[in-house]
Amino acid sequence: MKTQESKEQVLNLSQELRRGVLPLAVLSLLKDKKYGYALIGDLAAAGIEIDQGTLYPMLRRLESQSLLDSSWVLEEARPRRYYQINEQGSRILETLSHEWKNLNQLMENLLDSGTK
Amino acid sequence: MNLIDRYLHEVGKYLPGKNREDILAEIRSHLSDTLDERVQGEASEQDVINLLKETGSPRKLAASYPGGQQYLIGPDQYPFFRMVVGIVIAAVIGAQLLAIGVNSVLGEEVVPYWESFAGVLTSIPAAIGAVVIVFMILRRFGVNPDLEDGEWDPRTLPEVNEEEQIKKGERIFGITIGSIFLALLAAFPDKIGIYLFPDGTFYPNPVIAQNIGLIALSLLASIGMDIYLLWQGRWTLASRIARIAVNLLSIGVLIVLLEGHTAWLSTHGSTGFFQSIEKLGVDVAGNFELVGMEAFRLAFGVALVVTIIETCLMLYRLVRRSLVKTEVPVLSSGK
Repeated sequence: MKTQESKEQVLNLSQELRRGVLPLAVLSLLKDKKYGYALIGDLAAAGIEIDQGTLYPMLRRLESQSLLDSSWVLEEARPRRYYQINEQGSRILETLSHEWKNLNQLMENLLDSGTK
Repeated sequence: MNLIDRYLHEVGKYLPGKNREDILAEIRSHLSDTLDERVQGEASEQDVINLLKETGSPRKLAASYPGGQQYLIGPDQYPFFRMVVGIVIAAVIGAQLLAIGVNSVLGEEVVPYWESFAGVLTSIPAAIGAVVIVFMILRRFGVNPDLEDGEWDPRTLPEVNEEEQIKKGERIFGITIGSIFLALLAAFPDKIGIYLFPDGTFYPNPVIAQNIGLIALSLLASIGMDIYLLWQGRWTLASRIARIAVNLLSIGVLIVLLEGHTAWLSTHGSTGFFQSIEKLGVDVAGNFELVGMEAFRLAFGVALVVTIIETCLMLYRLVRRSLVKTEVPVLSSGK
């Protein structure tokens, strides 16, 4: 019972951790234009699981923040909405990447000093 | 229609109109891609069912999109909504009680009391409904109240004021007494009057019997107001005004009762409380009724004076609160 509880807690907390970096991960993968389904595959290949109920709304939010451009393309008789990072998105991505590396370093220092 | 069409149709119901078709087309495209990858050839119904189950219920999926959340008044607007509803209800009830109170004194427009009471009651849901509609329209047009505009200064936090705290004991006492009177009035509407012991002669009080609806209305308004105050825990401008309106109604009712008693007494030849007591020596049976009615009149008179004093105090507090601006305390630098 106790281990079950802590497993769930770990799962929840790690999901929360990951949620924050998802936009960064998505932006980093959209230098070439991609549609949502392919993007989910690419993220999974990189070890980041994301369900479509999270990804598609996020893509729309990023687009409404003018970080992504999108267009419909008809392929194999199936319309697909392609997303690609734009100029502003690239600038933000660069800043965010620095931010992430910084944060990573800070956290590493913090956790190392905590275990010593 | 296949399951995916039905699913998308249902999702569409919960999405905002603006991007609906676009979002649905994208979900459809995603579902088709997933099916293609999983199933060679034609997908069976079971495949589709499994996929849709994984995707989640239409409402849940729609809720993950901006604007797909299902609510009339969002968490952003809710505090503002609550405030507006409070003010509107207090204003609507206050105004109606005030009108009834004024009417009962001036005696214009004879409206049955229960009708005016029902009017007050039905106006509450109508008022809330109107506010909800206004907020729905505001949300529809994307108007969001910016409640925390500008730089927030902790020094503008209102002082914790003793006077603003509602004294629970007073309210509970008021509710209890009011309820007892109301229960007596409801249970024995025809048994209120003057009892003569030991022979048990009973003279009903015709003035009370005549105004029973008005008395009940005033008691109900007062009890309702006290319950609301108890629930709120502290005074607000709106509740102060509403409480004053309730008191004005009580004053109106008491004046009507007093005048009723005075009229009754003068037609029955009474010249005053003590004269009536003196007359007891002459004609006991006939004059006990007079003395009883005088006692009733005296009781209502006392109640009237008390209520008027209480109302004046409330008015004084209300005016003082609106005149005295809360001063921003100067933060001392250092010790």
